[in-house]
Amino acid sequence: MKSETNIKLPLSFIIFGIIAFVVAQSTLFFGHDFIANGQFRVPPIWSGSHFLLLGFAVMIAMGAMYQLVPVAFLTPIWNEKFGAVQFIVTALGITSFAILLGVHASYAIYGGAIAIIGILMFLFQMLKTLQAQSKKNVMSYFVIGALSALFLAIIAGFTLAWNFSFTPFVSQDPMLFTHITLGVAGWFTLLIFGFSYKLVPMFSLSHGFSMKWAKPAFLTYVIGLVLLIGSYWLETHSIQTVGWILLCGGFTFFGLDVREILTKRLRRKLDKPFAFAVFAIGIGFFVHLIAAILSIAQVKSPTVWSWVVFFYIMGWVIASILGYLYKIIPFLWWTYKYSERIGKEKVPTLKEMINEKASVILFTLFIISIIGLTIGGLYSIGIVVFLFQGLLTITSVLYAISVLKIFFI
Amino acid sequence: MSLLGSVKAALFEVIDPELGINIVDLGLIYDVQVEGNHAKITMTLTTPGCPLHDSITNGVKFRVNQLKGIDDVTVDLVWEPAWSPDKMSERAKEKLHFG
Repeated sequence: MKSETNIKLPLSFIIFGIIAFVVAQSTLFFGHDFIANGQFRVPPIWSGSHFLLLGFAVMIAMGAMYQLVPVAFLTPIWNEKFGAVQFIVTALGITSFAILLGVHASYAIYGGAIAIIGILMFLFQMLKTLQAQSKKNVMSYFVIGALSALFLAIIAGFTLAWNFSFTPFVSQDPMLFTHITLGVAGWFTLLIFGFSYKLVPMFSLSHGFSMKWAKPAFLTYVIGLVLLIGSYWLETHSIQTVGWILLCGGFTFFGLDVREILTKRLRRKLDKPFAFAVFAIGIGFFVHLIAAILSIAQVKSPTVWSWVVFFYIMGWVIASILGYLYKIIPFLWWTYKYSERIGKEKVPTLKEMINEKASVILFTLFIISIIGLTIGGLYSIGIVVFLFQGLLTITSVLYAISVLKIFFI
Repeated sequence: MSLLGSVKAALFEVIDPELGINIVDLGLIYDVQVEGNHAKITMTLTTPGCPLHDSITNGVKFRVNQLKGIDDVTVDLVWEPAWSPDKMSERAKEKLHFG
């Protein structure tokens, strides 16, 4: 059975995503004054954050899934031509939506509608693909959970866009928090959990691990999500606290499995980009712990919570993607360029296709930037936010150059 | 060298691009048979659902097909018995440990 997807499909998503990453950081740089003042609900920040989360993170996740789902689940993509159309619709939708949010928010619903059609097409594609999988495993449940959260997140997002454009029919704040929680914690975290169960053992060549915490991690995290979202609508702080404690517990269970996988690895020296993705798991745990503690301590400052969400997105979700992407792109390009030559002639290894030293510098700059931004934002120091958002923007440009250079090897 | 020996030697030239180690030292080759001009290789991968699945099996086919006397190659990819670290050569273990 041929399990690999035509490389052009995942690559289209990934190249779009990398460009969107630079656009997002540049847009946020232009809105640095708003960031410093804790004003996140303004056009430049809406635009930048949607270029980041939809244009970069969602598109990269889709591209990675087109590549990884067939090989990890041993099930070919249902319809690759449909995938190509889905790419065009989603790219057009996200671009127009993110731009309209920045320049004319009341029209954003039209771009949003196209983006939603694209995302629904993706969900349909994955549903048809996963239906063909003969035997479901733990990873399947994480992926199905992530896709369900994405579906609910876009419904919540569409409702928000409707509120902007027409007569609001639901409370804006609970719906916004529901949208963020489902999109960030539901979709991305469950997806990264699921794929980490495949990628961490593979990249570390681990053997004989149990994955005994996978089911508790899934159930605890999903119940935590449900309670957290319920607390927004019921306005009950105690439920929110229990929700955060469960999310932290679910993350801890996942972390215990990752620790066991790494303990039983055969490859002692990990590749630097992969080590960074593992480091992001540590940041993810730290952010969940901080959120649970803040909730227990009844800290309700919107500024503090805004920066917790920021650190959750950048330190856990985006950092994981940046680390894994540095492994996925060489793999895709290698498959395209060299897979037909393996066995015929000497071909480079995947490690030889990347500049590990440059990756260490870039990942370090990324971490310094988000720590600096968080400190500057928490204390509303404009110059600090300006400097570190500037550094993050430069880092994003250098990262894009660094990974795009792989295509010229 | 016999044709069987040539096939076995050729497999040392197929490298896992992620690990940078040849598939024989990795312990991925379970059996090699040659009947007439047909070679049959029974092999596995370190994990089911390895993204390099097709690339490595195709590499085996290409490399063995290049041998004089071989016109047809069958690669039988099996998951039982599952690959385990003890199937690796000392050379591979050393490379992974220090690589």
